[in-house]
Amino acid sequence: MPESIPAPLIIDTLKDTFKDARAALAKEGVKTRHDHLGWILSVPDTHQKTVLAALDKERALRVVTCSTEDEANAVAAGLWIGGEPVAVMIQHAGLYASVNTLRGVAMDGRVPIFYMIGLLSREKDKDPRESRHSMVRYCEPLLDLFGVPHARLEGPNDVHRIPEYYRLSRERRGPAAVLVGLETS
Amino acid sequence: MAMKPEEILRLIAAERGDAICVPTMTTSPAWRTIAPDDLSVGCVGFMGGASSIGLGLALAHPERRVIVFDGDGSLLMQLGALATNAGAAAANFVHLLFKNNVYHTSGAQEIPGGEGVDFVQMAKGAGYREAFAIHEMDELKRRLPHILTARGPLLVELHTTLADQTPMTAGMGVPFAKQVETLRDKLLAADARR
Repeated sequence: MPESIPAPLIIDTLKDTFKDARAALAKEGVKTRHDHLGWILSVPDTHQKTVLAALDKERALRVVTCSTEDEANAVAAGLWIGGEPVAVMIQHAGLYASVNTLRGVAMDGRVPIFYMIGLLSREKDKDPRESRHSMVRYCEPLLDLFGVPHARLEGPNDVHRIPEYYRLSRERRGPAAVLVGLETS
Repeated sequence: MAMKPEEILRLIAAERGDAICVPTMTTSPAWRTIAPDDLSVGCVGFMGGASSIGLGLALAHPERRVIVFDGDGSLLMQLGALATNAGAAAANFVHLLFKNNVYHTSGAQEIPGGEGVDFVQMAKGAGYREAFAIHEMDELKRRLPHILTARGPLLVELHTTLADQTPMTAGMGVPFAKQVETLRDKLLAADARR
C-alpha cells in the first residue's frame, strides 16, 4: 500500500542531489556563483503543497514559480545550459499541458530535465494505471509514449529514486520523471 | 517608420559585448548570419519559450546580460511568461519584443488583437521594472546604451517591418540540440577560467 512522503524528506533528498551535482561540476573546474544549492521550478501542485510550503522557508533551494509548465521546462533548460542544478515540480495535468515543450526542449534539445510529477487524485488502493481518473490513468502511458523513463515514489523508502532519476536525466541528456504517488505530508 | 529587424540585430550585435542572446522565429535566420559565433541559442519549434530560456540563463549567469529577441505572436503563446519573468526579477534580463503584428513564419496572419495589442502596458502590469516602445532606428541608437545597462527586467517593444527571411524560407540552421550543447560548453568553459 502506498504511503505519504514527508516534505522534509523530499527536500533533504533534493538538497543532497544538488550537492552532488555541484560537486560533479566543481570537478570540471566550474565554480558556482550562487549561495544556494539549486533551483526548483514549480507550477503549484496541490499534491505536493506541503513540499512547496516548506520550500518557502528553505534558503538552500531557490524556488521560481512559473505561470505554466511550458515556462518551467524552458526556464529549466536555460538554467541547465547555464550550469545550474534544477528540478521541475508539477502535476500530471501540467504534464499534459506542456507536451510540446517536453518534446521540443527536453527531447529534441537533449536537455536533461528532471520532473517530480504529483498524481493528484490517485486512489490509495489502486494502481495508477487503473485509476478511475483519466488524469491519473494516462500519466505513465504518456511518459511511455514519449520514451521518458519514470519511477513511482510510493513511500519514504522510494526517495532514493530522486537522485537516481535526476542522474539518469543527465546521463541520457533528456527528460526523466518520478511520480509522487500520494499527497505529501 | 517601422524598423528593419536585420538593422536592429546588426546594431545589437555590434554593441552587445558578452551578452547571451536568445533569438526566436524570424530573428533566428538573420541572427545566425550576423553573429555566427555569438553566445546564442535560437528557439524554433516551441513558440513562446524564448523568454523563459532567457530567464533561466539570466538566473544562472547574473554577471552577464541576457537579451531575448522575442516575437509578438510568440509571446502571445506564453503570455504568462511576463509575470514569471517579472516575478523572478533578474536584473540582467532584457526582453526585446519584435512587433510586426503578424505570424510572419506561417504566412503573415494577423495576431489576435492586431496592431492595437500593447505589450508595454502588459509588461508594466506584470511588474517589469521598465518597459517602453521604440519606433525609429535613431531612437533605438540613442537608447541602446541604456537598454544594455539598465536594471531589468526590461521590455522594449520594437516596431518592425517583416524580416527578410523566416525559419521556413531560410531553413532551421544548426539543430537546437547542437546549439544548446555549444552554448553550455562555452559557458562552462568560461566559468572554469574564472
